[in-house]
Amino acid sequence: MTVTAAIPVRVDARGQTDVGLRRKANEDQFVIMTLVKSSEVRQTSVPDPGVFDALRRPEGWLFIVADGVGGQPGGAQASQTAVTSLVKYLGQAAGCFNSIDTDREHEFLEQLEAAVHDAHRRITEEHGGATQGKRATPGPATTLTMAMLVWPRAYIVQVGDSRAFYLRKGRLRQLTRDQTAGEFMVNTGAWTEEQAQKAPYSGTLASALGADEMTPVVGLVDLQPGDTLLLCTDGLTRHVSDERIAEVLGRAGDAESACRELVEAALAGGGHDNVTVVTAIMVPG
Amino acid sequence: MSQTIQKKVCMVGVFGTGKTSLVQRFVHTLFSERYLSTVGVKIDRKPLELDGTALTLVLWDLAGRDKHEDIAGSYLRGAHAVLYVADGTRRETCDQLPELRALALEAAGDVPGVLALNKSDLKESWALAPKDEELLAREWDLVRTSAKTGDGVEEAFRRIGRATLAGREARP
Repeated sequence: MTVTAAIPVRVDARGQTDVGLRRKANEDQFVIMTLVKSSEVRQTSVPDPGVFDALRRPEGWLFIVADGVGGQPGGAQASQTAVTSLVKYLGQAAGCFNSIDTDREHEFLEQLEAAVHDAHRRITEEHGGATQGKRATPGPATTLTMAMLVWPRAYIVQVGDSRAFYLRKGRLRQLTRDQTAGEFMVNTGAWTEEQAQKAPYSGTLASALGADEMTPVVGLVDLQPGDTLLLCTDGLTRHVSDERIAEVLGRAGDAESACRELVEAALAGGGHDNVTVVTAIMVPG
Repeated sequence: MSQTIQKKVCMVGVFGTGKTSLVQRFVHTLFSERYLSTVGVKIDRKPLELDGTALTLVLWDLAGRDKHEDIAGSYLRGAHAVLYVADGTRRETCDQLPELRALALEAAGDVPGVLALNKSDLKESWALAPKDEELLAREWDLVRTSAKTGDGVEEAFRRIGRATLAGREARP
């Protein structure tokens, strides 16, 4: 069954990235993309051609953030390759993503995962990467968090520790769980949360594109008019609390000012890492 | 070449009944005592072979019903079956089952359902008398499960898998 609900929102989306105060280079990347059908009515005898305006509206949105793994050569290349290959892969298939077809939704989800696996393969091929643990030094790797919005459904695919949140009526909800060594150890019961906080390698990624372990996690959420979607790298969440993020998103008049304030907050909090945010406000309209 | 059949199964229940833990146990053979509430829907896949038929269960782990949010019917649309999950140590999670079934019926139609009565390892705090369970078993295709020990987990998912295949055959 295909659900072709009229889009009751205007999506106000912006992204911003900053090198931070300690790093020499910015290894983060982001992209915001609309998916539009390529149909256009050139001539018609219909008295009100405005009825075709819907054909020119974006049918879907794609948001991506990627955080090249710092301390390893090629982190910036890895995040760039991830973003460009995903955009190419999903852009070519854009025509399939203009409505929610519940009968074929699993194929759609497989496409999203396939896009991530394709990006992973490109990173390992182009920059040298995962070799099932046989290489002496790790190759370039990157996190990836993406949201594909086909109103009202936001499909989320995540690898690593870049996060996705949504804000609804002032309440911030985290849609992703960090794929880090600390999280893994706590989840398996090997460590307590306190031990994880103190462990030196707790923040080491347990899964990343280009790494030996790459396990995409897939989820989704149905958004409502007034909701705000946020994707960010850990340069934000290391320095800015969830409460502060909720406060900024809750009072921001538009996506541009929300991004600016969040990046400023991350820098004011220490700016130890590159920081990247993408916000998308579902403006009722 | 035969194609693997994919079936969407929604995990439905009140918050904290162990829906995510059941999926984790079944798909990843993991169990964590840590409770993290699910936000939105998490999706996992598990290939199975049932009576010679290759089947992949696409498991939609829905955020549990709580005081802030009800379960969105839109997530249930297109489901081939529903695995209801109740917590045997919290009677109220069983009391809400009829409402949850009505919600699923409205959103997904008359699809098969199995009830996992979870946390069967917590015998000390079990809140249901044998008679209560008998009544539930009359209404539901019931499996006692423990995500912690793994008891009944495979059985619950295999039963729901069989139900999706039977549903497929029964319909035109």
